[in-house]
Amino acid sequence: MDVSQYLNVFMDECQEHLQSLNQSLLALEQDPENTEILNSIFRAAHTLKGASATMGFNKMSNVTHAMEDVLSLLRQHELTVNAEIVNALFEALDLLEVLAQGITEGREEDIEIAGIIQNLQKFSTKEAMATETEQTSERRRNLQLRYLPAEIEQIKKAAEEGFNQYHLHIYLQEDCLLKGARAFMILRELEAHGEIIRTIPSAKELEDERFDTDFIIGISSKKPLEFLVRFLEKMLDVEKVEGEALAADDLLVERRGGTTKAATNEATPQKGASTKPPSNVSPTVRVDIRKLDDLMNLVGELVITRSRLEQLSSEQGDQILEETVEQLTRLTMDLRDQVLKTRMVPVDHVFSRFPRLVRDLTKETGKEVQLQISGAETELDRTVIDEIVDPLVHIIRNSIDHGIEAPEVRTAAGKSLPGVVELKAYQAGNNVVIEIVDDGAGVNREKVKARALERGIVSVDDLENMDDEEIMNLIFLPGFSTSDKVTDISGRGVGMDVVKTQISNLGGVVELASEEGKGTKFTIRLPLTLAIIQTLIVQLGNEVFAIPSTLIDQTISVAQKDIKYVRNREVTLYRGELIPLIRLQEYLGVEEAKNSSLEELDVVVVSNGERRIGFVVDTLVRQQDVVIKSLGAYLGSIPGIAGATILGDGKIALILDLRSVA
Amino acid sequence: MRERQNKERQEETTQIIIFKLGEEEFGVDILQVREIEKLDQGITRVPKAPPFVEGVINLRGEIIPIVDLRVRFGLTLPELGLNSRVIIVEVGEALVGMLVDAVVEVLRIPVSAIEPPPPITKGVDSYYLAGVAKLDERLIVLLNLERTLSPEEEKELSEAELE
Repeated sequence: MDVSQYLNVFMDECQEHLQSLNQSLLALEQDPENTEILNSIFRAAHTLKGASATMGFNKMSNVTHAMEDVLSLLRQHELTVNAEIVNALFEALDLLEVLAQGITEGREEDIEIAGIIQNLQKFSTKEAMATETEQTSERRRNLQLRYLPAEIEQIKKAAEEGFNQYHLHIYLQEDCLLKGARAFMILRELEAHGEIIRTIPSAKELEDERFDTDFIIGISSKKPLEFLVRFLEKMLDVEKVEGEALAADDLLVERRGGTTKAATNEATPQKGASTKPPSNVSPTVRVDIRKLDDLMNLVGELVITRSRLEQLSSEQGDQILEETVEQLTRLTMDLRDQVLKTRMVPVDHVFSRFPRLVRDLTKETGKEVQLQISGAETELDRTVIDEIVDPLVHIIRNSIDHGIEAPEVRTAAGKSLPGVVELKAYQAGNNVVIEIVDDGAGVNREKVKARALERGIVSVDDLENMDDEEIMNLIFLPGFSTSDKVTDISGRGVGMDVVKTQISNLGGVVELASEEGKGTKFTIRLPLTLAIIQTLIVQLGNEVFAIPSTLIDQTISVAQKDIKYVRNREVTLYRGELIPLIRLQEYLGVEEAKNSSLEELDVVVVSNGERRIGFVVDTLVRQQDVVIKSLGAYLGSIPGIAGATILGDGKIALILDLRSVA
Repeated sequence: MRERQNKERQEETTQIIIFKLGEEEFGVDILQVREIEKLDQGITRVPKAPPFVEGVINLRGEIIPIVDLRVRFGLTLPELGLNSRVIIVEVGEALVGMLVDAVVEVLRIPVSAIEPPPPITKGVDSYYLAGVAKLDERLIVLLNLERTLSPEEEKELSEAELE
């Protein structure tokens, strides 16, 4: 079968299952007795096994198979959840992630799986007892009776009338002839003593002899269990009968795709985003992200055409035309919002992987850390979501490695245990803000200074002229790492500068605040979407440019007389601090700019995290949402220019990335 | 042997779009040309772009960089006029517009008429040329678009080294 066309769907589902496995396993570690969690893990592993086998990824299906063996023993209470087993399962999960990666890169074959499988089999074979071969355990698992919800209702009603629900596991003799007929006889005889609700295999399969030597009957009966077992054992060809009485609540429910325990509280889903296994709320459709990109582009075109029409209609002065255009404007905006929404994904997509990260880190470092997540429902553009993972992983690792102190240090300092790392997301205007706050040791300024000197990043003179904020921000410079010991966790000095670059590439900023002894807070501000951004249109001479609003701190008006000079460069006072002024025409090479002759200057204050710079323009034209277009492969990336956009009149305005100037 | 090959090649032809820079005729292979546009909009200057990049234009919603070949070849010529056109060509994966003074015609010429370029033809360095085609009285300079439009200024760099 050619499965290549399903590969994308498989990979997507695979990621989802892996993520839900990770979450559920973490939850199981906290709550080992919870059979519901266990069931959901089993389901995910089972589905993954089936899917990977169908696709022909044997290694993946072998690993999931081994996991399933262990899980099914756990479900049957033949094994109990302990740290060793959970670790083995986590390791298997990691291997599955490696395999998934390998599949996308076409090198699945090279990945070693034997070690992990052996590790799992240690549990499944040791506990599954020498007498029981793997095949029987598989058969036992397959012979689990499941009921339809309606049947369970029926059983519950019957229970009120004094009926008991039994499971009778009947083993026929190996040399039994005409097994089908024998099974049929047994069913008929039993019907005299109760109502047979279900059999495994089905009655039809039993009659057709499509079973090995054993089968299970689910029967509702008023007779005692003892009686039924003895009754059956007396029959010909019956080797042995195992009977079990069950309460209606313990019965397994049959569902498309899997089984779950018929808990009475099933209708009320559990709260708590981090531990809840993902549940499908409404039907969804999987769409290739490229189609959404195309759609976004089309809407972009529409937005541009609409503003052009708006301009034309206002020139015409025809009231009916203007009203129609107004309506079109409203519709276009609604359409744009909807398209944007389809691209939005909750940050939970990213956040949900951090409990696992923190768990592993705490095991590695021996520190006690609690991760608190809030605002996981905050939504971000899919493209931003994908890019934000690495920086966040880095910061969280950093917080645990450098921030949170060892338990004895915390106790000595009178701080509470465990240490807390908080991960918060919320929307603020056109931005999404993600905060990573720890209550650890904070940034040690002296250490930072010493390290910066040692690395030759700054000179002693530089340091003397730096304020506290500037010193802290040294950690964002390339080649900086403050950890005394190089650990696997924070890597080897490829740290915060990469984080900063990655976030900048997303059009975002990262800020750092820290109090020694109290903790550290990273604040990341990201645009909601990459495709459409809000800008301020400014004019210089005959040229117009767009400055992304995310970069702008404020626009101010500066009188010529308020311009001061420091080392021959123009500066002005802004919120109590001196900020440099740059005539934008000089940076951009614009001729005929007229701001040098103005008395009052329009200044756009751009904030690059900690630094602020005022850019002098001729005129502030208006605020406008624009669609970013690339300058194309031919021009490539030009410093200071983020792209271009087409304005309402069809003219092109360049979008300036002034952070690279600052 | 060689004569026979030449004869066979006489049957082969190629289509060339002929355009003018000043009074001189240049040609590009038609297979590399996407379309030809009138220049009825302003060109938006791009600061810090290479000097021969005049700017960008809006081609039905797509942003297309415009290269001024006269600057590229170091030719001094009069300002753009009514007949000025932009020839949109495909170079690698990118679309680039070439600013020319006029588009003359499309010619089918025998491949055998194309000869390797002399070191300097009509003031243009042979580095940028794919060949010259001699047709009766006309001499058409065929451009090597990959080199002509290459944003890396290899040629200029090598010249700078010589100086």
